[in-house]
Amino acid sequence: MSISISSRRTRRAVALILSIGAVSLFTTGAGTQGPRFYPDDPISREPESQDASKAAPYEQSQMYELMFNLFVTSGYKPSGLRAKNINTIDEVPDSSWFTNRIGSKPVTADEITKGPVIGAAPDPSKWVLIREKTSGAHPGFTATDAKGETWFLEFDPPKFPEGATGAVAIATKIFWALGYNQVESFLTTFDTKNVTIDPKATVRRPNGKRTRFTHDDMNVILEGVHRNPDGSYRVIAGRLLPGKVLGGYQYAGTRSDDPNDLVPHQHRRELRALRVFGAWTNLTDLKAANSIDTLITENGKTIVKHYLQDVGSTFGMCNDFHEWDLSYEYFYEGPPSRKRFFTLGFGLSPWQTVDYVEYPSVGKFEGKVFDPRKWRPQTPTTAYMEMRDDDAFWAARRIAAFTDDLIRAAVHTGEFSDPKAEQYLADVLIQRREKIKSVYLTAVNPIVNPALDSKGLTFENVAVSGGVAQDAVSYRASWMTFDNATGATKPLSETQSSTTTIPAPAGLPSSGFVAVDIAADSAAYPTWKQPVRAFFRSEGGSWKLVGLERMPDKPEANARAGQKPSK
Amino acid sequence: MCTRDVLRLFATFALVTALAGSAAAQAPPSDEPEGGQAAPAGTRQAALEQEQAAKVPNLTPYKPNKVEAYFERFDAVLAGGTPRWHPFFESAYSGGGFTLGVGKISYLGAYNYIDVRGSYTITGYKRAEAEFVAPRLFNRRGHFSLLGGWRDATQVGFYGIGADTSVDDRSNYRFKQPYGSALLTVFPTRRFLMLRGGVEYSRWNQEPGEGSSPSVETIYTPATLPGLGSEVTYLHTQGTIGLDGRTSPGYSRRGAFLGATLHDYNDRDSAFGFQMAEYEGIAHLPILRETWVLSFRARVQTAFDKDDQQTPFFMLPALGGGSSLRGYSSWRFRDKNSLLLSAEWRIMVNRYLDMAFFYDAGKVAARTSDLDFDGLKDDYGFGLRFHGPFATPLRVELAHSRESSIRFIFSAGPSF
Repeated sequence: MSISISSRRTRRAVALILSIGAVSLFTTGAGTQGPRFYPDDPISREPESQDASKAAPYEQSQMYELMFNLFVTSGYKPSGLRAKNINTIDEVPDSSWFTNRIGSKPVTADEITKGPVIGAAPDPSKWVLIREKTSGAHPGFTATDAKGETWFLEFDPPKFPEGATGAVAIATKIFWALGYNQVESFLTTFDTKNVTIDPKATVRRPNGKRTRFTHDDMNVILEGVHRNPDGSYRVIAGRLLPGKVLGGYQYAGTRSDDPNDLVPHQHRRELRALRVFGAWTNLTDLKAANSIDTLITENGKTIVKHYLQDVGSTFGMCNDFHEWDLSYEYFYEGPPSRKRFFTLGFGLSPWQTVDYVEYPSVGKFEGKVFDPRKWRPQTPTTAYMEMRDDDAFWAARRIAAFTDDLIRAAVHTGEFSDPKAEQYLADVLIQRREKIKSVYLTAVNPIVNPALDSKGLTFENVAVSGGVAQDAVSYRASWMTFDNATGATKPLSETQSSTTTIPAPAGLPSSGFVAVDIAADSAAYPTWKQPVRAFFRSEGGSWKLVGLERMPDKPEANARAGQKPSK
Repeated sequence: MCTRDVLRLFATFALVTALAGSAAAQAPPSDEPEGGQAAPAGTRQAALEQEQAAKVPNLTPYKPNKVEAYFERFDAVLAGGTPRWHPFFESAYSGGGFTLGVGKISYLGAYNYIDVRGSYTITGYKRAEAEFVAPRLFNRRGHFSLLGGWRDATQVGFYGIGADTSVDDRSNYRFKQPYGSALLTVFPTRRFLMLRGGVEYSRWNQEPGEGSSPSVETIYTPATLPGLGSEVTYLHTQGTIGLDGRTSPGYSRRGAFLGATLHDYNDRDSAFGFQMAEYEGIAHLPILRETWVLSFRARVQTAFDKDDQQTPFFMLPALGGGSSLRGYSSWRFRDKNSLLLSAEWRIMVNRYLDMAFFYDAGKVAARTSDLDFDGLKDDYGFGLRFHGPFATPLRVELAHSRESSIRFIFSAGPSF
């Protein structure tokens, strides 16, 4: 038997249908014959059940990724599909990629200050250089400290004293709190009086050969970085990750050598959400090389752990040369290029007129002109293109969970010598947080935490409680019984309220499942009329939330959702 | 439908089919990870584990596609390596036309290398040379080059000496030249201050020119044109002092350069020895976050005869061509002295492309005192520059002057 699919539209439709089927992996039952909800729904952890020890190192060509993302991914048409790694209540379970922290549970200022740190800080009384720095744009070394532990050292560019190192220190705390696996990083010092070079240390030369690392090789780096008045250097030291390094993860597809990697990365919500987290922190360098997969053994099982490794291109840090358009345009974008070409540069883009209060330790970072929807990384990723408003809503809730005090605690870890710079950076993060809340918490129906008990249905309008929207005029609940085996619903009745408590209808069954569509009437936000559907299962005389669907799969309607500005 | 699409469809289909076959029996809820134990059947976790198990027989290592593999070579270059084979677009002499060439680099050490290269133009200009480069002398403050080669320029234009020559008076000459030189550039403070010194030994064999224009000896005699038909062997020494505050000579949007070079051409036969002084200033002024850059260049060249010797016509300061008066033919104006002024309005289109409107003006004169702003020959034009942060690998320009409606300029370097 042969199957021929000739039409592009037909191919796309078939792929879409099959992709939608694959969504059921985390959020619905086993195809058409299984139940919608399993007994263990919603799961809180994505299992890694199989041995991944055969996963092999591979580093994708950075130039290839750059070109592909600039000229192919930038034209990628989003599928409009929901994220596929979310559980049945629209949340991201813990995994080797992500750990629920802020927004899921209370996080204290002390915890943020500590961030991903588990072990002790490096002992800078002795550094032994063992290799050049192997990743990232900023100059640095690989070295062992006085305790013999291996660290990746990164310095500040001359024009940004405390900037690059501070950005890494702060951003690792923020991204750790957001749930990403982060490298343990410490601000410390590097004094050439305490430096020796491992006789076995080598460096790759232009002739392709590795030869002995010399003092001159060290000086090449040090001549291009900021030096403290006392002759020492401020560095950020990143601890060597445990396990075997496999290279960066890609933002599309899955690892073909990792059995536990089932969800295409562009459909992982935490990777889509980097569009929002990136906008908040101005994490412009989202290339695969700034991530890292490691092979580790946990609980007797070898799995791949995924790190968002290099978050130093945050806030106003850049590589110095001709980067005024950073965060406003991709490295290359046709429309603004054409505009400048045909208007001889007089068709100005926002980056050309935005006011910056530039501190050397902060760089070009501001919150007044900042528009989360218009923010751009250096190059788009497929996950970035796939982000929908429900992904952004999920991300915005986590950012909203950062109180002013938590933000200031994170920024304080940058150890800036200028208190004004520290205050400015925190102020801008707070300002950008509010803009993200305004845009993304209101873009979809913002009802969260629905609960059903004898008093009725209660929930929270997170846009209202977050202070970025007026309350809805009324809330409506359409009640249904739900057959978990067949997926069929049977309407019961409709109730409504002007508050976030809606009475349950008479005749609500006391067992099985009920589904309820909750919509809000707001003239300012028409999208709130799109109901959130919640599913409750009767367990021991009470109702447990087992399902929540904020935005269904709407491939056509949502195809450009991640890009077009919504109200 | 490509193979990858088919495989993706099959994989997705298998995934859905496998899910459809999973059991749906009820079991106690469990939110806890199972560690090394299999999850109870009929649970979400069991379904997921089943899918993970189903992937095990199909595990394959990552295989880059052909394009990606090709790009990996670029990555190696960016990581500090140097391509062994490289294009070489420098013709034997300006005005040779479209040039194709290739070079091969062979390393003699970690940084020192020999580049053997050659080029050929559509007008038959030929160049073959080998250069030894030591880029890291004196604790990375010095750059040394040892060059040896041979070139043949078949139809170099000559329009007469002075500013009032006619484009219709073009004649051609040919020269063949073996040469060997050494050049040492030192940045004593690593930045800004630049010192350069060099010595060259070469022989200029001036011969009848080819091409559609008459050969130079059919119009001139050795008495009317110094150096005509001569074979001159020079020991050429030079010294430069410069202040360079640009990001890079290859591409810059800000900064300035000031330099002065003195040349001494010592003719072994003491007939055509001369000296030349060259002064150059360049400034790049960025406007509105480098949206626009106003760039300016001024250059003065002055040749001095030695004692009773003469400066041969083919060594006189000249204007015209893609790096000076762009709206005029190469070597259009020659005399003892030259003045070149260029201004460009550069517009940033994006990170890799600039457009520019330019205006050039210049003159040649027999006396230095005549290098004023009277009687300047000028041109204007428009260009595109494809560039990186430090280099301009391709410059395409259209230039117009009173003598040329449009001249096309292709160059593998910046205008200035």
